[in-house]
Amino acid sequence: MAASEQTTDANTNVPEYEYPDVNTKPFHIGSFKKEWLSRLKPSDYSYEEADEDAFHANFAREMGVSAETMAELKAVCSVDSLRCHPEDQQPDTEVVPSDPTLRTLVQRKERQDHRASLKKIKKNRHDLYADELERLTIGRKPETVTDMVPEGEIILTINVYYPAVFDKFNYIRPHMTLLMTGSHSLAELRDAVCCVSDLQVCGEFSNTPDVAPEFISKDHYKSAFFFFEGVFYNDMRFPECQDISSTTIEWAKSHNFPSYSQAKMEDTLLEDLKVKVGFPYLYCHQGDCEHLVIITDVRLAHKNDCLDKNLYPLLTHKHRVLTQKCAVCHVFIGRWYTTNDQFAPSDPCLFCDKCFRMLHYDAQGNKLGEFLAYPYVDRGAFN
Amino acid sequence: MDFCGKQVKADCEQLLKRFQRTQSVRFEIFARIWREMKFSQIFYGTVNHEKRKFSRLILDVASVFFLPPFSFQIRVGGLYLLYSLYQCQNASPSEQIRLALKDWADVKMFEKDAIVAQHFDVVYILQQLMFCKAFHFTATPSLLTYNKKRKVERSPMHEDFMERVSRPQELVNIELLEEMDNIHQHYENLKASTLSLTSAQQDPSVSLIRKNLVPQLRNTVVDFYNWQKRKDSVDEEEDSSEGPSSQQECSKRAGLLASIKSKAYGQAAEVSKSRRHRQVEVDFTSNEARSAPTLGRSRITKPSLKARTSENLHISGDLWTEAMTTTKISRLAQLESARDDKPKQYKKFKWS
Repeated sequence: MAASEQTTDANTNVPEYEYPDVNTKPFHIGSFKKEWLSRLKPSDYSYEEADEDAFHANFAREMGVSAETMAELKAVCSVDSLRCHPEDQQPDTEVVPSDPTLRTLVQRKERQDHRASLKKIKKNRHDLYADELERLTIGRKPETVTDMVPEGEIILTINVYYPAVFDKFNYIRPHMTLLMTGSHSLAELRDAVCCVSDLQVCGEFSNTPDVAPEFISKDHYKSAFFFFEGVFYNDMRFPECQDISSTTIEWAKSHNFPSYSQAKMEDTLLEDLKVKVGFPYLYCHQGDCEHLVIITDVRLAHKNDCLDKNLYPLLTHKHRVLTQKCAVCHVFIGRWYTTNDQFAPSDPCLFCDKCFRMLHYDAQGNKLGEFLAYPYVDRGAFN
Repeated sequence: MDFCGKQVKADCEQLLKRFQRTQSVRFEIFARIWREMKFSQIFYGTVNHEKRKFSRLILDVASVFFLPPFSFQIRVGGLYLLYSLYQCQNASPSEQIRLALKDWADVKMFEKDAIVAQHFDVVYILQQLMFCKAFHFTATPSLLTYNKKRKVERSPMHEDFMERVSRPQELVNIELLEEMDNIHQHYENLKASTLSLTSAQQDPSVSLIRKNLVPQLRNTVVDFYNWQKRKDSVDEEEDSSEGPSSQQECSKRAGLLASIKSKAYGQAAEVSKSRRHRQVEVDFTSNEARSAPTLGRSRITKPSLKARTSENLHISGDLWTEAMTTTKISRLAQLESARDDKPKQYKKFKWS
């Protein structure tokens, strides 16, 4: 019926805002990809550079313009007409030009003058390494064709945040930003997330400091799950993995929540998910270490992206944390954490390996005095 | 990069305002204004990683002007602006223009209008951008990080940039009128055929509808359209919007326009120009207009625990200063004489 055209057909595969500039309604990623591919010509999203003369010839033919009009069009719309300086004088693009009229430039000039007036410029660690990861990978092409990300593949940008136990900035600054393709599975996403709690070692080692701990938490507690849109995706790859989401599901059933379902992490591709962009979801591992996960962007692959499939999941941003140093030398990162220590100035106290042994053990390796020592993994261990 | 957002938007609006005053859609004229304002310089002075962030910011700001509900001339200006910014940016490799799936139909419609009106430079620039692979085909116009704001800033959209309201004509278009006429005919025929069996044809109880509903509806809409044209020709000297497309828009555009306009005017649903003198009704139930919780209600903030403590608790002298400053573990191993009591102060630049 023609009257149905009046109301926009709710095509749920076209992402719409649920709250403007906050997040979208849930949509299926694989269908979204199909929608885009059905609207575009293959040349629109291919990586190949098309021939410019062919483009002009096509344009002239389709629009029915003569050769002179075409030449005039080319000249008028060329990049040359946007040049704001005389051809022979190349301006220095690193500094703000003098007498700026644009408001952005006026503001930027103020900052430039302020910086020039400072006697000593503080080196901002975050600024220095901000784009380090991106610089390494952007535009990388693989050696073999089979390793190339196919044209029309979906790329997702995923932000993983700190677990809630961290104090500063945990709700704003992402811990890490990953780029993944639609054909990756959730298990691969899980493996790419590095959290210090995975490296924690349990156990008290004051009597046996030289014995290397047999296992780290990552190997011991392998269970994990993702929670997207009411479905728990469990990691069931190893026999030790348990379904840790079942407790939550049973609790929810008994408390009149809408019922949740389960699926396997390793069987679900990112393309099969139905998610909201910009909405926080959950990743839980080690039983209680919970991270917020937000998918910030879903788009088609572009020729400027890193096209080597082997490099994905790609880390584009990593937040660097201040590491805590040894209480004695203030030089090395703390490796031992002691409590009830008669030698330590504070309880608890951090020591690096050398200072720890020098203070607590004699030359033969005998324990001196009373203390409890635990191996410590600093938050900034991944810097 | 949020601190220069307002300035960037102001600069872009300035450029578009000048372009609008020329009443033209030619790229030559746009390029002239661009050169006069020396707009390429907007990229100069950014350091290192800021180049990419700034390119992203300015491209996002400019893409807003390329999409509805702005008028055709402003959208052409937006397209030229996007093209110029894309070519002049200093991030390398270049930062792309984001195009969301929901806006694709608008872009295609815009291209069709330009082809029909024979604006070759508009079509050339758009196809040139596609050729250079300047677009990222995305789900959303900008990156979303669940950034819920307490007080949503509604920057007033330029009214002069907006397109003339045309929802009545879009709602009641030719297809709708034909369909209604059809149904009307069917109804009349059915009524005639059933009533011919009985002799109750002239009974007033069966004449329940308006006989000439469809012509009346059509006349009202045409009157409204003419009134609008008259009103606008009094305001402006020349109609800068594209004539043929305003009457026969497809309904999808109507829906989009309605939703974007209602968002632009906050929670107040958009009222057409003919009803401006009436009170604007605030529509709390409209789903699209609701953006963040508790809009408009000011929160009564209790003073924090820190503030209350410092107010109520009085500790004298050294103990207080010691309690206020953070303990430095490094002091445990430092010599008394080497301690530097004066805290280092760095002048921080305030982005206004």
